[in-house]
Amino acid sequence: MSRPLLTIVATACALALPALAHSRPLTLTAQLKNYGGDGAYIAAYLTDAKGAYVRTLWVAGGKAKYHQHLSDWNRLSAGDTKRLDGVTGASVGAGRTLKVTAELADALIDAGYEIRIDAAAEDMRDSPSEVRIPLSTANVGKPQPGKQYIQSATFELK
Amino acid sequence: MSWKALHRWLGLTVGTLAVVLGVSGALLAIDPVQQAWQAPAAPRDLPVATLVERVTRTVPGAEEIRHLPSGAIVVFSFAGDQPQASYVDPADGRVLGAWQASALPRWVKNLHRSLLLGDAGRWGAAGIALTMALLCASALMLLLRRMGGWRRLAARVRGSLAQRIHVVAGRVVLAVLCLTSLTALTMSASTLGLVALDTRAEPDVLSQVTGQPALPAAQLAALQGVAVPDLRKLNIPSASDPQDTWKVTTAQGQGWIDRYSGQMLAWQDATLAQRTYDLAVVLHTGEAAWPWAVVLGCVGASVLLFWLSGVVIWWQARRLAPHITGNAPLAQADVLIYVASEGGSTWAFAQTLLDALSQVGHRVHASALENFQTTAATRQVFVLAATYGEGQAPAHASHALAHIARLKAGAVPVTVLGFGDRQFPAFCAFAQALDETLRTQGWPALLPLECIHQQSGQQFARWGIALAQAMGEPLVLEHVPRTPPTTPLTLTARRDYNGGAGPATAILRFAWPAQTLGARLRGHGLARFAAGDLVGIVPPGSAVPRYYSLASGQEDGFLEICVRQMAGGLCSTHLLGLQLGDSVTAFIRSNPGFALPRTRRPVLLIGAGTGVAPLAGFIRRNDRHRPMHLYFGGRDPARDFYFGPEIQRWLVEGRLTTLHTAFSRVPEGGGYVQDALRRDAEQLRDWVTQGAIVRVCGGRAMAQGVAEALDAVLAPLQMSVAKLKASERYAEDVF
Repeated sequence: MSRPLLTIVATACALALPALAHSRPLTLTAQLKNYGGDGAYIAAYLTDAKGAYVRTLWVAGGKAKYHQHLSDWNRLSAGDTKRLDGVTGASVGAGRTLKVTAELADALIDAGYEIRIDAAAEDMRDSPSEVRIPLSTANVGKPQPGKQYIQSATFELK
Repeated sequence: MSWKALHRWLGLTVGTLAVVLGVSGALLAIDPVQQAWQAPAAPRDLPVATLVERVTRTVPGAEEIRHLPSGAIVVFSFAGDQPQASYVDPADGRVLGAWQASALPRWVKNLHRSLLLGDAGRWGAAGIALTMALLCASALMLLLRRMGGWRRLAARVRGSLAQRIHVVAGRVVLAVLCLTSLTALTMSASTLGLVALDTRAEPDVLSQVTGQPALPAAQLAALQGVAVPDLRKLNIPSASDPQDTWKVTTAQGQGWIDRYSGQMLAWQDATLAQRTYDLAVVLHTGEAAWPWAVVLGCVGASVLLFWLSGVVIWWQARRLAPHITGNAPLAQADVLIYVASEGGSTWAFAQTLLDALSQVGHRVHASALENFQTTAATRQVFVLAATYGEGQAPAHASHALAHIARLKAGAVPVTVLGFGDRQFPAFCAFAQALDETLRTQGWPALLPLECIHQQSGQQFARWGIALAQAMGEPLVLEHVPRTPPTTPLTLTARRDYNGGAGPATAILRFAWPAQTLGARLRGHGLARFAAGDLVGIVPPGSAVPRYYSLASGQEDGFLEICVRQMAGGLCSTHLLGLQLGDSVTAFIRSNPGFALPRTRRPVLLIGAGTGVAPLAGFIRRNDRHRPMHLYFGGRDPARDFYFGPEIQRWLVEGRLTTLHTAFSRVPEGGGYVQDALRRDAEQLRDWVTQGAIVRVCGGRAMAQGVAEALDAVLAPLQMSVAKLKASERYAEDVF
């Protein structure tokens, strides 16, 4: 490898590493109730202090036809054309646990941001804002109950 | 692949899975029916605004109001932490009870749409729906072919019990079954992501907080303008989110309403795809109208019936499939037999012919008609051809006619023997077409075309005699059809008619053998019978049954036939020689084409000689006194007026409306029965105009004479015997 190229790589690493140091992995765990229905569709997403949509963390349930039932998320994230990119998985059966991880910038913590979860299951009612957890260090590891589908939701930061 | 093969193999393979979907679908139809009587439907002119006002008064914390396709109103709310869903009475908002999406376990629905196999199963179910659509399409083609076109679609179905069930049920449910398959495919297309129902993003709209209190529902103009029947769903803005909006979904689209100003912030019309999907769901599930759900339930269950009867039909056809024994190789054979057979029975005749020819030293090769060819060794060719439905060739031989028409004629004689049923309008039409084609091509024939009616062994034997003469060989064709199990019948009464110069005749009455219920359930013993059906009697010393028309039905409690001595007739001699208490071995063969349909229309019965027997049976059971007119032809009232005293009594009792006789051997006797018909032309036209049903029974010549006379009589009405036959109003029992 030529010397100039090595220099470029080294410089790039030096610039990138501090950026990585400013983000932390977040693990969100949602334990579902035995609500007696088919697999639930779940959207976990982030809103800012004003309640505006920031980004989608995870969408469980792959059929676009049913995404409208995750109504708050569907409405708030309407402008985000990449809302499903790399963050989708299968719907979650009753009684099962959903565990998702995401990289979160340090700046978002304790800054009025909120994790919101919408949930829905077929032939049952939609549950927008099933769970809302303020993204604060005080809430880390603290289970929050859901309204209809989720027994408890917890997030951890590393 | 032919329609028939497609239908058969799809039905036997994928059809098995279709049964699962059909039966689970029938179960799912319970839901709409059950929900229909659980809650009242909303009145047609009720504005949504009023409904919301009533609901919010009785259900605090209501979040969503749904107007179900069944018409019922369901409200979603929270009681503390507990989510609740309740039916409400739209008239006053009263809570009626808890709502559940389905009374059935979840797995029934999942079995129905995905065979419990998740997404892969959904593709499978869609495949089954597609197969079902193909089965319906092929069924329609086969139905049209079998019945002889659209106009004859409603005609009487003939065939075995399984065939009748399959065809009659198919006629009734085919359209609905096809509709459910197509709606299933529509639903699958969107679920599997092949079609997007609505690709538009939801508008990002919020209620503008102005400091004013939120408007009550009753004052929202946008909700006053929507009637409940149009409503699908209404989301009530959350108390905790001041910026939340009303969201109303109707059949036409969805709108967002500001909770303070009451303004419609945004409106999206429902897409065409969404509307199509909604319509498909309603048609497929029957959730909008419980009677339709009942229909769908029955149709779903019928899939099992189709599958079972289909398997039986396939099994019957397989059992009848040809297996020829003693077949010589084609190249060495001097006699070739080609067979076109629908059910397979014609192959049995081919086997008889093959055996008889082999016995006198020929080397015989039998094959299916589509393989028609001759070799250097060939000296004789026989074609045994059955006709199917409206004059069609049997399926396997459908291209044989065109194939033969392309061949260059040879010098070897090709003789055609047709098989068919006179009850069908196009009796032996395919055999005739074959014979004509062969003659046009220039093939010689050993014997002229002969057509065998209803697989008659006697007629086949007579053809054998002609064949033996033509070939100059001692050939005997004794065809032994598979006879059903026989039952002994005991003679209990006989009335003899001394023929004088003519042959002796007798009316014989046999006791109907009592059977235990168990025997009847297992199908043992004598089958059910009615006047006009045939009793097959197997005389001692022969395996070939002779058939006699029954002059009585099961309800009469006895079997009665009218037997005339045939010259050298084995069976008639046997029967006429019976003493009271003697018995014969017999079985029943139904003759459904000749039975009388249940109507109040006039019935014209025309019979000559012993042919009056089934007609007498009809009159005997005419308990409802429908108008029946009998034309009876005989020779001499003193000698051969069979059933004479009974007929006179039935006339008095009103079972018979009018009696017209013609006796050919007495002065002023009236000539033949067709002469009587010509004399009463005016009256006959009147009856036919009233929709009369005609039944003719007698000898071949008499039946032909009657048909000619009636054609002349009916000509002024633009009617003919052929037209009457086509509309199932004219049937003959000819011997």
